Amino acid sequence: MPNCKTRQTIILLVISVFSTALHAQTTAPKSSANMQETRSAGHVPDFSGPWAVVGGAPSWDPSDPRGAKPDQLPMTPWAIEKFKAARPPFGAKATFEAVNDPVQKYCDPPGITRLYAYPWQFALIQTPGVVYLLYEFTGLWRPIWLDREHPKNPDSTWMGDSIGKYEGDVLVIDTVGLNGKTWIDQVGHPHSDALHLIERLRRVDQDTLEVSVTFDDPKAYTNAFTGKRTFKRSSSPMEVTVCSLTEMQSFDDEVMKTTTVSPKK
Amino acid sequence: MKSKLSIAICVAAGLLLVSASTSAHHGTSGYDMEKVITLNGTITSFNWSNPHCLVHIDVKDSKGDVKDWIIELAAPTLMSRNGWTKDSLKPGDDVIAETHPAKNGATTGLSGASTALLKFVVNGHALPSH
Repeated sequence: MPNCKTRQTIILLVISVFSTALHAQTTAPKSSANMQETRSAGHVPDFSGPWAVVGGAPSWDPSDPRGAKPDQLPMTPWAIEKFKAARPPFGAKATFEAVNDPVQKYCDPPGITRLYAYPWQFALIQTPGVVYLLYEFTGLWRPIWLDREHPKNPDSTWMGDSIGKYEGDVLVIDTVGLNGKTWIDQVGHPHSDALHLIERLRRVDQDTLEVSVTFDDPKAYTNAFTGKRTFKRSSSPMEVTVCSLTEMQSFDDEVMKTTTVSPKK
Repeated sequence: MKSKLSIAICVAAGLLLVSASTSAHHGTSGYDMEKVITLNGTITSFNWSNPHCLVHIDVKDSKGDVKDWIIELAAPTLMSRNGWTKDSLKPGDDVIAETHPAKNGATTGLSGASTALLKFVVNGHALPSH
């Protein structure tokens, strides 16, 4: 097993080598014939992207994607307390005042599943042993290991430990080891460090990607649930959007506070 | 102050041009998303930065007093994909701008997000909108 430094070097090299190919694909999407050729050559579906969310939805509750009834998810008492304390930007509890969204307040990483709600693109780099998911939002990325199992006692981290496999045309990603500091969505639904995610990525057609996510978190939810998002292939190259606390603070002072003072008479 | 700064607020009710799902990072709860007003004034600054591009516009109110309006747009990456650049607006430009006004009566508004971008006409030329 390569050490940490060696692994980082390998990752940087892979990203560097593949970025040119990635850019080429953004400017010249593959034809159906090419897509067929890719499939038959390696029997590995091409998920490269970049992908941009269609419409989006602030909640992962499959029966309430707009978050109009965010308390209807089967939360445990532990999760209900967390949810009550949340002051999110979207859904029925949306507010501009005293927001405690960890992304908005601290520029914390938003977490894997919340990234799927953002308007910023993501892309995949597929190699034989690992798939890299690259996110425009703050330049986050994560490896999906195709050649190993989860560690027996994984660290708790922002992005967790992800392993994957191809099941026909579907990339199945299994993630554990999440630190529980993020919300699963834009309406403030919490999760614990026991969260187990299953993402299933499937190309519906040449330019459409469907991502379904199953949330299994017995500490936070009494039942597992599954939500879906749709993404379209984008012709725009990948960029990076930074989250800067100084810029966030400046924006809060200039706009948010102005827009939350008591209404003028 | 130029006479062009005069007035100008007309209301188009019932327009839900900005999706609540993928718009501003902070949501839209501070703005009246069912109302669109049109501002007619002069650009005093254009800040092309995260988390949202900001436009300051001097606008005369009904009493003839000049007010500083702060108009919020999407993040630079998303505005670029809408066809805007950091040079799309400059201080001194005459502008007609649509915006969703703040609910509390403050002179702030939301005009751009990932899914929608309201109309901006600068020196007689329309910028990309959708």
